[in-house]
Amino acid sequence: MHGLAEDIVRMGNQIARQFAHLPEDEAVTAVANHLRNFWAPQMRAGLVDIVDEGDEVLEPILAEAAELLRGS
Amino acid sequence: MIVTLLVERDYGTPASTGTGLVTLEIDGATVIVPEGTSVMRAAATAGRDVPKLCATDTLSAFGSCRLCLVEIEGMKGTPASCTTPVAQGMRVTTETTRLQRLRKGVMELYISDHPLDCLTCPANGDCELQDMAGVVGLRDVRYGYAGENHLDAPTDHSNPYFDFEASKCIVCSRCVRACEDIQGTFALTIAGRGFASKVSPGVDQLFFDSECVSCGACVQVCPTATLSEKSVIELGIPTRTVLTTCAYCGVGCSFKAELRGDQVVRMVPYKDGGANEGHSCVKGRFAWGYATHRDRVTKPMVREKITDPWREVSWEEAIAYTAAGFRRIQAEHGPEAIGGITSSRCTNEEVFVLQKMVRAAFHNNNVDTCARVCHSPTGYGLKTTFGTSAGTQDFKSVEKADVIVVIGANPTEAHPVFASRMKRRLREGARLIVIDPRRIDLVKSPHVGAAHHIPLQPGTNVAVINAMGNVVVTEGLVDRAFVDERCEGFEEWAEFVSRPENSPEAVAVDAHIDPEELRAAARLYAKGPNSAIYYGLGVTEHSQGSTMVMGMANLAMATGNLGRDGVGVNPLRGQNNVQGSCDMGSFPHELSGYRHVSDPAVRKIFEDKWGVTVQPEPGLRIPNMLSAAVDGTFRGIFIQGEDLAQSDPNTHHVTEALSMMDLVVVQDLFMNETAKYAHVFLPGTSFLEKDGTFINAERRINRVRPVMAPACGKDEWEVACEIARAMGYEMSYARASDIMEEIAAVTPTFSGVSFAKLDHLGSLQWPCNVNAPEGTPIMHVDTFVRGKGRFVPTTFVPTDERANRRYPLILTTGRILTQYNVGSQTRRTDNVAWHPEDVLDIHPADAELRGISTGDWVVLESRVGATTLRAEVSERMPVGVVYTTFHHPGTGANVVTTEFSDWATNCPEYKVTAVQVSPSPMSRVSAEALTGAELTTAGATPAS
Repeated sequence: MHGLAEDIVRMGNQIARQFAHLPEDEAVTAVANHLRNFWAPQMRAGLVDIVDEGDEVLEPILAEAAELLRGS
Repeated sequence: MIVTLLVERDYGTPASTGTGLVTLEIDGATVIVPEGTSVMRAAATAGRDVPKLCATDTLSAFGSCRLCLVEIEGMKGTPASCTTPVAQGMRVTTETTRLQRLRKGVMELYISDHPLDCLTCPANGDCELQDMAGVVGLRDVRYGYAGENHLDAPTDHSNPYFDFEASKCIVCSRCVRACEDIQGTFALTIAGRGFASKVSPGVDQLFFDSECVSCGACVQVCPTATLSEKSVIELGIPTRTVLTTCAYCGVGCSFKAELRGDQVVRMVPYKDGGANEGHSCVKGRFAWGYATHRDRVTKPMVREKITDPWREVSWEEAIAYTAAGFRRIQAEHGPEAIGGITSSRCTNEEVFVLQKMVRAAFHNNNVDTCARVCHSPTGYGLKTTFGTSAGTQDFKSVEKADVIVVIGANPTEAHPVFASRMKRRLREGARLIVIDPRRIDLVKSPHVGAAHHIPLQPGTNVAVINAMGNVVVTEGLVDRAFVDERCEGFEEWAEFVSRPENSPEAVAVDAHIDPEELRAAARLYAKGPNSAIYYGLGVTEHSQGSTMVMGMANLAMATGNLGRDGVGVNPLRGQNNVQGSCDMGSFPHELSGYRHVSDPAVRKIFEDKWGVTVQPEPGLRIPNMLSAAVDGTFRGIFIQGEDLAQSDPNTHHVTEALSMMDLVVVQDLFMNETAKYAHVFLPGTSFLEKDGTFINAERRINRVRPVMAPACGKDEWEVACEIARAMGYEMSYARASDIMEEIAAVTPTFSGVSFAKLDHLGSLQWPCNVNAPEGTPIMHVDTFVRGKGRFVPTTFVPTDERANRRYPLILTTGRILTQYNVGSQTRRTDNVAWHPEDVLDIHPADAELRGISTGDWVVLESRVGATTLRAEVSERMPVGVVYTTFHHPGTGANVVTTEFSDWATNCPEYKVTAVQVSPSPMSRVSAEALTGAELTTAGATPAS
């Protein structure tokens, strides 16, 4: 059994790995765009919270993408 | 709606595909027909039906009955009109004294060896032999009836749906030819010679024990009562017809529902149905009895807690209870705390209204559809590369394919009517490539064999498709003209796939493939000249499902296999209306026609029509709704016709989430596994009660017409409207066609669709609008929907689900022919005779290692759960891979599947679960005594 936070970490890392072949800035933008297009606002906010709490291991691209989502 | 029995015209032989025209004279009338047409068909076209028995226009001419003789000026004798092609200037006479004498002589011989029980025969009034006796004026039989005959031949009652009354057989071979030419199973033969000739399933087997797949083609073409539906024998000949659409798989076959009064007597495939052209499978043809099964729930029910007993209530109370519950949750926990799920088993009209209820009455975008768990990666992948979320071809296109690639699909089991069409093309000489871990039937079956079978390891699809791209690019097989003119991003993709790490040799070890075999397959595909890809859930239900869809699109673009007959990228959709439920705006980020909710211009169209604000942000998907329920932030859900607790992955997680919600509303035909966690049960309608449309895998919009009144007293869309109104949003329609009018008004790809046009033309393939008023059979003909086709580099990112020492095998799941999804329909029909339980297929080496034999009870265990089922040792399986179906709640295969999903869409990774299989500690007897819940917990490891 798992909650939304586990979904966010697992799915977010998976998305980040999918775009990892791109140059870093492009990858970060691609991940952020994907999350904007397909994730509900509460999930995007949840990702930002997870980054702020710092307890989860996130792909660096995902963590950077979360910065682009702050306040969105 | 047709109120009398629809008897389709039989022209005796198939229509010619010839392009030139031939002029001839038949009985003094001038007739112009395509070259290659038979004299019989030409005569029928001119209104001069020639008597016949062995001929029917769904089968090639055979020329055995000698009843269709004609006279042709300048030709000797009396040629058979079925096997004689027309010629320019030919003069044919169909009625002369000589012909009448010859035909009467033939009929005398037939009738001398036929039971004279017409008045009590089930085919009385629907028998071609009887008709022909009348047509030729047979009044007596000179030979008498006491000669040697077959009147004592036994009747075979073994098939659950039809009888084989051999004493009435005239050995016309129609059934044998239908099994070969239409179905492609070759289960029937003519055994013996001369007078001893007889139709035989297999070698003197009963129908049930033979290779017969009960498609019904033999029953349909039989000109006598020899092969008759048991329902006709029991109820009599039907008297009226309603044209409608099957509600099983995504082929979407058109059927004639034939009734006496309001009782369905039989379902007969419709020759003019665009998807099936007169063919059917065992489910659509015969397994419709669930619609009137005694288990149907027809009264609304409510309960405060899921531990309370159900209480039958009025519709008014159920609607009020539901609306008040949802409003209370939103008041306490916010507007985002509830949502809804649409069903791919429901009509477009029902789906559209339900997603509208969520967006307009719930005031959020928390709507998703069961397509989430099957073909959502198709939507993402094809929209990204081609510009729209749908397959590129019509089914008929396969008739022009030179090379057919089947990837992660098993059409003979899951899409049998399309499989028959495909097999016919393969028998004509098309080459076949099968990319699938299992040795599915298509790899080797009668008169069909794969040129290449790539038995890849589950989870390595993307590595394999990249390797095929590598061969195409590095061996100079790219269609440069197509790529240069119609695509973008090619150079980047070509550089990516041509890297050494994407070569067949580099991926061979991890993908468990023979690199030379893969190279040969890639060359074959690239050289076509017409190559078509057909794929199923073996593509989509992976962590890389969307990547794989884009990988296939890349390959098709690189080789120029798009935009004409015989090519394309074609998803074989799972349920009857997966395509439609997606088209109707069921996804939380899209409105109908695949337009993102963030686009203000798009929202304005809906806001103007609906008079309400549409939220600009995506809502939650099904798996996220469930996880949010575990967190306590998502507390109410409306589930339209989906059994989440059986069909969705990681059953323990699903049921835990459902049990934590304050209000679960289930709308379905039967009490299902999900309803165990529901507070409100709203009875739904079967396809025989629905009025609306389904859209099949080829984007074909077919009418679904009500055969009987809703057993529960309401249409499903009406219920959604009432809930919306009770929640304060005014929504109502007078009839289903009004809903389609609204869909057309707000959806550009449907702007030309109406019930009236569908009734007139039979069906329409979207886009259907001012540019294509009669629809679009093949997409991307001159340009892609997005303009240029987009190549996307498809990096292979392996799944996190890995086999290890504790769970060394990979489980993959799928379907079987006679059952359908969670089985709630087919388990309530005689189809259980073929598949009474789910079993686990395991390779002999893996079985021997574990001391397992066929029939043994085994424990199937993953890191999230375990279940117990019987094993079947099978060489179809590769070593290290096991397979089962998910049709029975008793075994509940999804107890073991995990939370992993496609990176882009969250489509669950059903096809890759690391498992262990071990002999069950329970004896066979004790295991059989257990209930479903006990089976899925006995031996289970606590979920981690």
